[in-house]
Amino acid sequence: MHELGVVFEVIKTVEKFALENELTQIDTIVLQIGELSSMIPSYIEACYPAAIDGTRMQDTKLQIEILPANALCRKCNKVFNIKENQGLCPDCSDNDWEMLSGKEFMIKEIIAF
Amino acid sequence: MNPYKVFEIKKNIIEDNNREAQIVRERLKKEKTFLLNLMSSPGSGKTTTVLRTIEALKDEMKIGIIEADIDSDVDAYAVAQTGTKVVQLHTGGMCRLNADMTEQGLLQLGTEELDFVLLENIGNLICTAESDTGASKKAMILSVPEGDDKPLKYPVMFSVVDVLIINKIDVMDYFDFDLEAVKERVTKLNPNIKIIPISAKTGEGMDEWTNWLRTEVKNWNEK
Repeated sequence: MHELGVVFEVIKTVEKFALENELTQIDTIVLQIGELSSMIPSYIEACYPAAIDGTRMQDTKLQIEILPANALCRKCNKVFNIKENQGLCPDCSDNDWEMLSGKEFMIKEIIAF
Repeated sequence: MNPYKVFEIKKNIIEDNNREAQIVRERLKKEKTFLLNLMSSPGSGKTTTVLRTIEALKDEMKIGIIEADIDSDVDAYAVAQTGTKVVQLHTGGMCRLNADMTEQGLLQLGTEELDFVLLENIGNLICTAESDTGASKKAMILSVPEGDDKPLKYPVMFSVVDVLIINKIDVMDYFDFDLEAVKERVTKLNPNIKIIPISAKTGEGMDEWTNWLRTEVKNWNEK
């Protein structure tokens, strides 16, 4: 399970941000995870409690937004979901496309004061 | 009124690592130190290959080794026996080395005087492929007993490396390992990859491998 290491990264980054901005309480962390990123949201959720345990963020909630694996077909300009269409443009069946989203692993925002 | 506020962070953890890796790479370029990230599954013969490589190159360049494992220092011990500078990194359960951890290893090692640093990554074909360590070049070892279907099962690893070493070719007769099929599968994923079959045990193919390294180290340190 490689998610744990990444969750530690997240906690570290948020803690640093909180310190720099003099935030005393972090209510929620919002992550954005692409459908094709190598991170599995349910595993992130599963190891999150272990990662925050004993830190200043042990009461902080976690929210995950999934970003779709979208691509732009270079041939006909159609935007389509790579996963749902097995990597082929549903309109012209071409496999020459540019990825628009889906590999992200981002800390989108935090809710804090 | 809710006292809570939303703070936009928009921080991409992976991009952060890529930036750190780029800084490591630029510093090593200035220092004229070539860093090779060597990856493979556990048991593919990485350490034996590393020992053979040290043996072949130690008289012509200054070498340092970074061993990364989840635990233990058996690899570092084996390398230290050759008289080569070595540090052992423990990832404490993490399956990958990121640029920050690599940098700590490099600092511990002291790269100023070194021409070539070999990073023996954790045995893993999945996570290590996705993490930029700041290396100048990436290599992987696939050993014959693992089977010729690995490029199909772990395509990311095979598509990101510059060179693929196929190790343990001395036992090819005992396994149903189709070398030509591997070459075809790998080239399809990665047209520019260099494939070098070796046996770290008998020494077969080691010249081609060390020649590749010599050229890469020279190119990196001169240009």
